[in-house]
Amino acid sequence: MTAASINGVLGHSALMVGLVASLFGALALGYATVTGDRRLMRTAPNYAWLAGAAGVLASAVMLHALLTYDFDLQYVQDVGSRSTPTLYNIAALWSALEGSILLWLFVLAGYTAVLMRRYRQRLDDPLIAWTLVVMFVVSAFFFFLAFGPTDVFATGAPGVTDGPGPNPLLQNHILVMFHPPILYLGYVGFTVPFAFAMAALITGRVGEGWLLETRRFALVVWGFLSIGILLGGWWSYEVLGWSGVWAWDPVENASFLPWLTGTAYIHSVLVQERRGMLRVWNISLLVATFALTILGTFLTRSGVINSVHAFADGTIGPWLLGFFGVIVVVSLGLIGWRGDRLRSPGAIDSPVSREGAFLANNVIFTVFAFVVLLGTVFPLIVEALQDRRIAVGQPFFDRLTMPIGLVLLFLMAVAPVLPWRKASGELLRDRLFVPAVVGAISLAVAVAVGADQWASLTAFALGGFAAGAAGRQLALATRRQGWRGLVGRANGGMIVHLGIILIAVALAASNGYTRVAEFTMRVGEPVAFDGHTFELLGIEEFETERSQGLKAQVSIDGGQAYAPALTRFLNMGTDIGTPSVRTGFTKDIYLTLEQATEAGATEAQIKVFIKPMILWMWIGGGLVAIGTVLAAFPGRRRRNPIAPVSAAAGADVPPAGADASAERDEPEGVHV
Amino acid sequence: MAATTYQRVKRGPGWIVLAVVVVALMAYGVGRTDGRLSPAERVESISKRLACPVCDGESVFESRNTASNAIRNEIEVQVAGGVASDDEIITFIEQRYGGQVLLVPKAEGVDALVWILPVVAAVAGVTGLALVFRTWQRAGTGSVTDDDRALVERALRDERGARDDHDEPER
Repeated sequence: MTAASINGVLGHSALMVGLVASLFGALALGYATVTGDRRLMRTAPNYAWLAGAAGVLASAVMLHALLTYDFDLQYVQDVGSRSTPTLYNIAALWSALEGSILLWLFVLAGYTAVLMRRYRQRLDDPLIAWTLVVMFVVSAFFFFLAFGPTDVFATGAPGVTDGPGPNPLLQNHILVMFHPPILYLGYVGFTVPFAFAMAALITGRVGEGWLLETRRFALVVWGFLSIGILLGGWWSYEVLGWSGVWAWDPVENASFLPWLTGTAYIHSVLVQERRGMLRVWNISLLVATFALTILGTFLTRSGVINSVHAFADGTIGPWLLGFFGVIVVVSLGLIGWRGDRLRSPGAIDSPVSREGAFLANNVIFTVFAFVVLLGTVFPLIVEALQDRRIAVGQPFFDRLTMPIGLVLLFLMAVAPVLPWRKASGELLRDRLFVPAVVGAISLAVAVAVGADQWASLTAFALGGFAAGAAGRQLALATRRQGWRGLVGRANGGMIVHLGIILIAVALAASNGYTRVAEFTMRVGEPVAFDGHTFELLGIEEFETERSQGLKAQVSIDGGQAYAPALTRFLNMGTDIGTPSVRTGFTKDIYLTLEQATEAGATEAQIKVFIKPMILWMWIGGGLVAIGTVLAAFPGRRRRNPIAPVSAAAGADVPPAGADASAERDEPEGVHV
Repeated sequence: MAATTYQRVKRGPGWIVLAVVVVALMAYGVGRTDGRLSPAERVESISKRLACPVCDGESVFESRNTASNAIRNEIEVQVAGGVASDDEIITFIEQRYGGQVLLVPKAEGVDALVWILPVVAAVAGVTGLALVFRTWQRAGTGSVTDDDRALVERALRDERGARDDHDEPER
């Protein structure tokens, strides 16, 4: 009893301290910046350390409460359980609303402290100071959310000595340990570039300085978000038993929306660095990215949209929506106020140029984000207008996003070979020839292995085309610079492209060519399907403290046995299927147990999915991670990054430094 | 020598060959199938278009509860019957279970907006892009102030030292 109240009191205090520290940090730093009070300014880092420590402490206390079964806390009553293995008790920290807010705080307060540590000598620079003020304000909001409306450390009903544990789906795969934290590192991380953008607007220093401060950071958080999303897909594949990686569920969309606008941003930012253009646009993309993280959290955490993994709770909805409104109004107000300074002087010589391709990329990503957002909120709109419930599901998204994906693949093929400023038809014919050959080969291979739908054939051809273009850039760069040709933003970016292409092609293959069949398998009677034989060897029973279940042993092609299972969690009452997968380079064989009566039975319902190329999706994810790291690695800098370049003063005279770029290859992009 | 032949191939003939190969492969690939699905595949594609009536946000295909199983059985019966088309089966089930089992909104009334707005957005995006290109191309020769010139010169000096000096920015 006493130990319990200690956790509650400690948790409450940590949140209170964090809230106060963040508020004081924002006020002190803001006031000191306005008045030039140096002494006050020097106190600001302490607030960041304090808030960071409070964020860590709040999470640590909750973790401690979960691991010591402190059932006086409401949250532990909800998701804790004495019989859950330690690993999943740790993951229970983020398996429901309250805990996920703690994780958010942990990451956000951590980022604030990291930023403060990096910039503590430069606080007299108003850009830095205002950035940290914005970070403090956002932190204060989330500390408030955790302390007040969510009341993370609320005391539960007395006398409870055990709980149900996390949702059964969240306690049977190791990926629940990694997917949420990594996703949050990216999702919450976009607060940092947003804060810099706000500071640029507040200080009026809307030039390129703030971009350079954040470009590496934006890349890294983008990488975390990408990997986090992909790990979510992997988890879905390994756990949910319908053999898919992505269902266009509102929660998935909530993470995907900022990814889309964030991806647009990390491309268009290059145009601003290089040409000084798109200032308003880049700021708007960061505002959109951050606002979408809040809107997504509102949609999925307030109960307005129900989905498989939404944690519904009515109390925080209005606050999140209000915060979203404040972000949008303040940002638009600031952009309007700084409108004159944001007007950029640049001009574009030709649509057929790298900057033209980046602009096209941005339009497509924006339309993509619009489609996903529309599909996600459309049921709400209809319900508000006509009081009628409708659903917008996977087929809608599949149908609309497929053409967008194909256009993006095409752009990925053409854009990397385009020089800045303008390209001639001859240059395109020359540079795109090898990629086009690769595309044709890829198409030929697809036809040879039996692909037969125009959409997937197009995807394979364009995938090859795009991979050829990325590979060509990397080959040129490494030929010129050795291993350094893999490092730096442009080259690392090409490796990321290769990863994304692999993912896209694997998705096209597995969406288009999955074969499914359901069999009643009997012991001793092998079943043949799609060139493989399956034989039921037997049904086994297994039992743990909190669950019991049946496992079917199925041998594939007379070889090793795979064991799809059906588990009943005693305190839940629903059956959870656990698939068993034979992974291979060309295809996965994915087995699920649909029905079985008892141990020792000689018959079971087994569903077999044959899914091509799934493994390449995870390999692609690995390439995205490696490419992001290489891109964030400092490349060889051959020019001052903010030196004015290509400032199209006279249409036809290339500015010095970019002279030969139209004739010669330029795989390094920005570094040339 | 070989390089020049290669250059010539890349300039024209190579592309024509590639285009022919790609069109032929596409035509062969798409043409060899009649696009008919097996019964199991039809059941799958229909059940993906229907929402489980009692659970949140899952399709009949994914969900495993009794209501979804009932719908799935219904679809299997209809598909095995071989008479009704996919749309007819879906309409049949919609009439039985109500409009909220549809996962794909119909293109009627307010619901049509979900199909129209993306098209509008795409058209607006492309038009906007075209307009922006035109404006920017026209605005190409902006006025250059002395400050700009000084900035460029300073940057060039910093960057290249005294390495070369023939490549001055425009007057």
